[in-house]
Amino acid sequence: MFKQITSLGGNEWYLITSLWIFLVFFIVVGIMLYTMRKEHVDYMGNIPLNDENQEEEKAKEDNE
Amino acid sequence: MMQLEQFNYDNKIVRDFGIATIVWGLVGMSVGLLIALQLVWPVFNFELQYTTFGRIRPVHTNAVIFAFVGNAIFMGVYYSMQRVLKTRMFSDALSKIHFWGWQIIILAAAITLPLGFTSSHEYAELEWPIDIAVVLIWVVFGINMFGTIVKRRERHMYVAVWFYIATFVTIAVLYIVNSFQIPVSAFKSYYIYAGVQDALVQWWYGHNAVAFFLTTPFLGMMYYFLPKMANRPIYSYKLSILHFWSLIFIYIWAGPHHLLYTSLPDWVQSLGVVFSIMLIAPSWGGMINGLLTLRGAWDKVRTDPTLKFMVVALTAYGMATFEGPMLSLKQVNAIAHFTDWIVAHVHVGALGWNGFMTFAILYWLIPRIYKTKLYSVKWASIHFWVGTLGILFYAIPMYWAAVVQGLMWKEFTPEGTLAYPNFLATTLEILPMHMMRAVGGALYLAGVILMTVNLVKTMRKGTLQANEPAEAPALEPLKVIERSKHRRLERKPALFMVISLIVILIGGIVEMMPTFMISSNVPTIASVKPYTALELQGRDLYIKEGCVNCHTQTVRPFRSETARYGEYSKAGEFVYDHPFLWGSKRTGPDLHRIGGKYPNKWHFDHMLDPTITSPGSIMPAYPWLMTQTIDIASTKSKMNALRIVGVPYTDEEVNSSEEDLKRQAQAIADDLATQGTTIRPDAEIIAMIAYLQRLGTDIKN
Repeated sequence: MFKQITSLGGNEWYLITSLWIFLVFFIVVGIMLYTMRKEHVDYMGNIPLNDENQEEEKAKEDNE
Repeated sequence: MMQLEQFNYDNKIVRDFGIATIVWGLVGMSVGLLIALQLVWPVFNFELQYTTFGRIRPVHTNAVIFAFVGNAIFMGVYYSMQRVLKTRMFSDALSKIHFWGWQIIILAAAITLPLGFTSSHEYAELEWPIDIAVVLIWVVFGINMFGTIVKRRERHMYVAVWFYIATFVTIAVLYIVNSFQIPVSAFKSYYIYAGVQDALVQWWYGHNAVAFFLTTPFLGMMYYFLPKMANRPIYSYKLSILHFWSLIFIYIWAGPHHLLYTSLPDWVQSLGVVFSIMLIAPSWGGMINGLLTLRGAWDKVRTDPTLKFMVVALTAYGMATFEGPMLSLKQVNAIAHFTDWIVAHVHVGALGWNGFMTFAILYWLIPRIYKTKLYSVKWASIHFWVGTLGILFYAIPMYWAAVVQGLMWKEFTPEGTLAYPNFLATTLEILPMHMMRAVGGALYLAGVILMTVNLVKTMRKGTLQANEPAEAPALEPLKVIERSKHRRLERKPALFMVISLIVILIGGIVEMMPTFMISSNVPTIASVKPYTALELQGRDLYIKEGCVNCHTQTVRPFRSETARYGEYSKAGEFVYDHPFLWGSKRTGPDLHRIGGKYPNKWHFDHMLDPTITSPGSIMPAYPWLMTQTIDIASTKSKMNALRIVGVPYTDEEVNSSEEDLKRQAQAIADDLATQGTTIRPDAEIIAMIAYLQRLGTDIKN
């Protein structure tokens, strides 16, 4: 089944390079996530909920 | 002490895009229902050239993608961006230009496509003047978006905005690169790429139109609207960061999975497969992030139709993004490709993911900007169930049809001949499934009509709050140095765009540059010559009539295909094909080896009325080809344009093109006359026959 990605007639270079690029990319994003401050993450996650006017809140409650 | 600033959100532009979404949704889906009926009863082609399947299938796809989904995107973006950035849109004038410009483009598409003005690239059929308009309006949207980001009162850009930025920048790149054309006249052009390279560019575009028009903006909208609807923050903000970057990075590589087993170089196909499989991870990351946002809010799902729509939308997204990688496995693709499976797959995405999320947002947003309640929650709930049934009735018969037909194409008798040598037998077998698909489509459309009535009544009940007052502190200069790199990035929109651009360019460059630069990737064949003047005109008629919507022109290297059609297709055979016409669906048989298979008279009869030669055929009749005249005067300019993009026509060939065309046409007309058919040599059918008889014959010389 994996013949289609293992025997590429000398073109493995493209595949391996691409996979490396992706792996490095993934690791960099991972490190970045690990070093993020919790307060910032919480703040950012709550942005959509912090944009309401009082009137809007009321309308929503009425709808519920 | 920070100063609170007063400002207004622009709700009118959101409302306008919302209405456009509903109107074009009704139009696009109605056309979809019509073409579904055409695939069962050809009488629905109305024997009019403007309403044949080949010409209006692009009307359906363009209307649904760019008109319905497009307007829904702008509605969602304009609503959410103002709020997460705490500012009004940058310019009301640009918002208006964007809105009206987009509607005029849609109108232009709705007029030109039935007239046969098409470039033939799927989902990019619009001819060059409209392409330019699309780019201009897209830039207007971009300026308005970045202007809004610049004048924001929220320092960091929420995840929704990243998805909008990636959408803007990637669609711009995709659309421009896939639209490099040499104009011949006001509504005719040739792509600068040919054959294999054109195919690679088109499916790099086609796949990423799905990624960056149907997916990323909707993910952005999910990240805003789902927390609002559930009244709780997104499950994991960190996951959204990982999801975002890996999604935009991987998606761009996956295009070649549309071209498996074709003459595209093997290594590009393999890259497409590998990255398609990797794509499951970020796609499901997004889906899981959405579904888990509802943790603790599932009781609301029971009563709130907007959340019901969202749950099914996310589930459909999960199914489609699992199915996509599976379909890109070569073994699955061998059976599923060119069948209704692909149609089912795309509709799970379009009806489930895009459609249902759009409906959820409309139901949520319209009452809010009209300061009222939804007219009928019960109707919305009925819409949900009718729509869900519609999706099931659509998708399940199509899967069934696909497996039946895919296996029939491949079945051999014990003696070693094709079990179903007549392609038509496999088409007729699945007509009952096509009827059920039309029922599914009708149900889905009925739900949308109910929604329209519900929303119109809601609008009547309330009053639009065109300018919604809001207040937020002004953004003060940043005094601290932020530790997290991503946090810094979240407040630098220009840098964010540039990095997104680099991320999405990598895949395209790695796949395309070698295919374009290294000649061994497209081995030439000495006997393959450019089309004659008459064949060229015939090819342009083939494009105009949209034959590519039902017929492929690429024989895959399977025993079942070489036994049915002949020698498998080679890259070198397409080097003069501007554009490539490999197609993506076999409603009718492949035509790459049709040349010389039947006499001229067969083609004449078949185009006049397909049931003469193929009883029961669902192909429309093309009687106007017998009466309309070939545009001979355009021949020279067409050949000259093709010379610019590399077709080696000599001066002599161009100068004598009209005489050559007439000579070849006369020979075909004479041949038809010997068979008892009298036809003018300048009738369009003559050019069409010349082209069909040339197809795939060069390697036999």
